[in-house]
Amino acid sequence: MEILSVSLAFFKIGIVAFGGGWSVVGLIKHEIVPRWMNAEAFNSLIAIAQSTPGPIALNAATLVGWQKAGFLGALAATFSVILFPLLAMSSALAFAKYIPLKRSLADESLRSGSMAMILMTLWTLLPRTALPMPWIFALAAFGITAFTKLNAVYVILGAGALNMLIGALH
Amino acid sequence: MRMPARAEDITKTEPTPWHIFLVLAQINTLTLGGGYVIVPAIGNAFEKQGWIEEEEFYRIFSRAQVFPGPIALSTAFLASYRIAGVPGAIAAVLGTVLPPFFALILVGGFISLYGNTELFKRFLGGAGAVVPGLVASMLWKTTKNRKWSVRAVIEVVGLAILLVVFPSAAFFLLLGGIAVFYIGRLVWKS
Repeated sequence: MEILSVSLAFFKIGIVAFGGGWSVVGLIKHEIVPRWMNAEAFNSLIAIAQSTPGPIALNAATLVGWQKAGFLGALAATFSVILFPLLAMSSALAFAKYIPLKRSLADESLRSGSMAMILMTLWTLLPRTALPMPWIFALAAFGITAFTKLNAVYVILGAGALNMLIGALH
Repeated sequence: MRMPARAEDITKTEPTPWHIFLVLAQINTLTLGGGYVIVPAIGNAFEKQGWIEEEEFYRIFSRAQVFPGPIALSTAFLASYRIAGVPGAIAAVLGTVLPPFFALILVGGFISLYGNTELFKRFLGGAGAVVPGLVASMLWKTTKNRKWSVRAVIEVVGLAILLVVFPSAAFFLLLGGIAVFYIGRLVWKS
């Protein structure tokens, strides 16, 4: 049952998806590589998820669900990834008075957790090759997005176009 | 609570669930670049509609970060609940989820048609190659913007090493790690 296993994977991802899209990418990769796709296809998937409208975890869920089990798979995976967050927020709204959480401490703890996730994500995504091309693309993208205000989407689309051009010249 | 009347009042709509859905669906169709681009766009739109004050919106945004899941979803959910109750929150979920869902179905269909052409493979290869750089830049920005303490460095580096070494336990490491950080900060204030 592909639909069930995809849904379960994304339900789990939804539970720990703290701290913005990029932090959770490492966990998503661990869930679906090499079970459902190889590392290179995963990077392309993330590039697509980031350069289409909507949150990255949501888009990744829709795409993986679609590839594994068609429309129903996409629907199930998308629903699964938001299920726990929605339950968590609904119960917090209902029971806020009874939860004695110290906000500033919780914020700092979550910040540490999500930064550790980003570090893990970076480690998982680093090119496992000595070929120069992936490293040059990644370093250039880092330089551009870290030190200018350019939207990452343009970097993704530009890199895709550039690579097509390189291919055409060969 | 309505904002004071302004000239652009004519374009304003009542904060009904349907209108909340429309505003969010429009933003989520047109905004590329993830949560930290979408959230300000939502704040802007809600404030212009006179549904919520900017300050209140960003107070809700900071509360939304405590929850897992896409930050665009949790902020829209909590802000719309504040504006229009449970129907508002439901409208927020649909307005956040449906547009990207159908966009991705289209993209998925496109990929299954053209995914095997050499040209498209080259495009995906180039687009995928920049992803590690984008993550590094996100790490750079969050590192720069945080007030660091010895404790925070130990937490982040320690948990990251555990996650890299035991990726199959990542789920429990994260939940356990965040709980340990919280309890640690509670009982031992540095």
